Amino acid sequence: MSAGNPVSRVIELGPGRPTIEVLEAGEGAPLLFLHGAGGIPAWAGALPILAEHFRVHAPLLPGFGKSAGLECLDDQWDLFLHCFDVMEALGLSRPYVVGESMGGWIAAEMAALRPKEIGRLALASPIGLWRDDAPVVDMFGKMTHELVPYLFHDQGCPPAQAMLAMSTLVSDKDDRTEEQVEMLLGYIRGFRTAAKFLFPIPEHGLEKRLWRITAPTLLVWGDHDAFVAPSYAKLFAAKIPNARIELVEGCGHAIGLEKPEPYAAAVVRFARGGS
Amino acid sequence: MKISWFHLMPYRWLPPDFRERYHSVWVDLPNRLYDPERGHALYNEYLDMLEYADQMGFDAVGVNEHHQNAYGMMPSPNLMAAALARRTERAMILVLGNSIVLYNPPVRVAEEFAMLDVISGGRLIAGFPVGTSMDTNYCYGENPATIREKYREANDLILKAWAEREPFAWNGKYTKLRYVNLWPQPIQKPRPPVWVPGLGSIETWDWCIDHDYNYSYLSFSGYKRAQRVMDSWWAQRAKRRADDNPYSGAFFQQVCLSDTDAACEKEWWPHVDYFFNKCLHLYPAMANAPGYMTEASLRAGIVAQVGNTTGNMGMNKTWKELCEQRYIVAGSPETVRQQLEELAKSLRVGHLAVGLQIGSSPIELTNRSTHLFATKVLPSLRNLFPGYEDRWWPKPLPRERRTAPGSRNEAVRAQVERPAGGAA
Repeated sequence: MSAGNPVSRVIELGPGRPTIEVLEAGEGAPLLFLHGAGGIPAWAGALPILAEHFRVHAPLLPGFGKSAGLECLDDQWDLFLHCFDVMEALGLSRPYVVGESMGGWIAAEMAALRPKEIGRLALASPIGLWRDDAPVVDMFGKMTHELVPYLFHDQGCPPAQAMLAMSTLVSDKDDRTEEQVEMLLGYIRGFRTAAKFLFPIPEHGLEKRLWRITAPTLLVWGDHDAFVAPSYAKLFAAKIPNARIELVEGCGHAIGLEKPEPYAAAVVRFARGGS
Repeated sequence: MKISWFHLMPYRWLPPDFRERYHSVWVDLPNRLYDPERGHALYNEYLDMLEYADQMGFDAVGVNEHHQNAYGMMPSPNLMAAALARRTERAMILVLGNSIVLYNPPVRVAEEFAMLDVISGGRLIAGFPVGTSMDTNYCYGENPATIREKYREANDLILKAWAEREPFAWNGKYTKLRYVNLWPQPIQKPRPPVWVPGLGSIETWDWCIDHDYNYSYLSFSGYKRAQRVMDSWWAQRAKRRADDNPYSGAFFQQVCLSDTDAACEKEWWPHVDYFFNKCLHLYPAMANAPGYMTEASLRAGIVAQVGNTTGNMGMNKTWKELCEQRYIVAGSPETVRQQLEELAKSLRVGHLAVGLQIGSSPIELTNRSTHLFATKVLPSLRNLFPGYEDRWWPKPLPRERRTAPGSRNEAVRAQVERPAGGAA
């Protein structure tokens, strides 16, 4: 199986439970990848690099890709249990869990809830904590193009430019193609899922549970993250018993898109070097 | 046809460079722009306008709910309605409405509406909006992905609280109450009429038909741009085999009257300009939190089957354009009468809510407009749609059974204020 070309499959979790699309690639030890609020629109960024070293399983939350059944998940507890159900359905035992932003929050919550079931943890600029003097940016109250400076340090980089291009679709005009309409609806559908668990403040008490995490934990942060300030890395590291921080230089919040190489290298290195 | 005099209660003192300096009139406009002493004058002036409308014979006086909004200064419309219940006599009281998901628990709405109905002698029209995304999601933190489900549950709870005569338990997903037992009960039986203000969400039509609620299209873009939405409402009623009663629909239209068409532009343009170019200065990123609109409505809006009617809010238009495209119905009483008859016939709505206070218009101008409307326009509009029963209208107590505010003091004053001293 090629690392650059994932296989997509759809898993029915059972009656009254979501249907999940999973993207899988690579060979090696199992790595469970939990995406951020933007989903996985393309097998790009850090994912193909990680798949050169691991067997990467990247399930999509309901509302993203072909995954459906958001109505089955009433609150964040349903969401965390759902992610364990997915892990079970994928047959993963104590995987290396890598989560970006929203996915990092979910990964940390899972590791705190059932510490023995998570082998190792890498959190890439996770949300989930809150300080009044460094408020996490309101991702639901900004125009797409206005989010770009919060997500990328270098707004000229290709993924930032692609996001700006997409923002032109969000207008009052009636001249969108059918494909563009579907793309726009897909984007809003994913954001709806994020909003269900994160609106209006993305914080549900994770901080008081962090001490329960036993997995060796890596915190990767862009040193210029304007969305979730790098000062949060220290908060996580102070509460998680076995954690260390790696800053990626010249990088904003969308770390997997803006600086995939040093970020993926840190994740790979952490698996080899232990804590 | 019935005509309601509807107030938005805008703040009249936004600075001239407001649009350049701030991105919205709503949600995060700093409240340092608000002067409470000016607010005091405005509330009282605005309530005076509504009381004058009652005196001039309008069928209802109307208020609504917005939060953190400089064009709508009624976070609690029920407070305004309570003031009106005491100071008006003939007009019905249209509260359009309470955003029922924002009241915790929603029996609060059942209670306050019951209070208003009882105080006013059964004159209440109860509005049940979902509430805009700005109000509900961004100001009050309601989750956009679940707000519609929560709305439906709140509706069911309120209806049951009004209907039941014994305490009951409510085990809902969003509200859990061991004892629901409404004191007081509304005067109107089986309940006050319910109107649902909508902005063109397609599910709202079925919701109104299912519950026999009035569908009120509250648009600022005028009746010509509302045609597609109201046509769809009537088409949906026909499809669902609901009757074609015009009173099942209501429409909001802003109207300016002066003695002549020419005088109207001169007198009203500064205030109309203030409304369309300041009050409607909105930040599009907060128009629809993700999940607030259902996918079906979003799709309809994006591919413009019924949508795009709220897309153009009327900014940067000339007086002539606003008049011709009917964002406003403006002119002499005869011009206004003709255009409103056209509105009634084209949209087929039996209920018209008119906005006669617009933007920064002060009381002398507004009340003149109210007077001209009441004497020159209202009589002929009333004759429209004869022969239809309006089952979306209050059934108040007959006048002889109502207690007039102040009358009890008068009845006992002599007895109470008799000279002090021992009874000899």
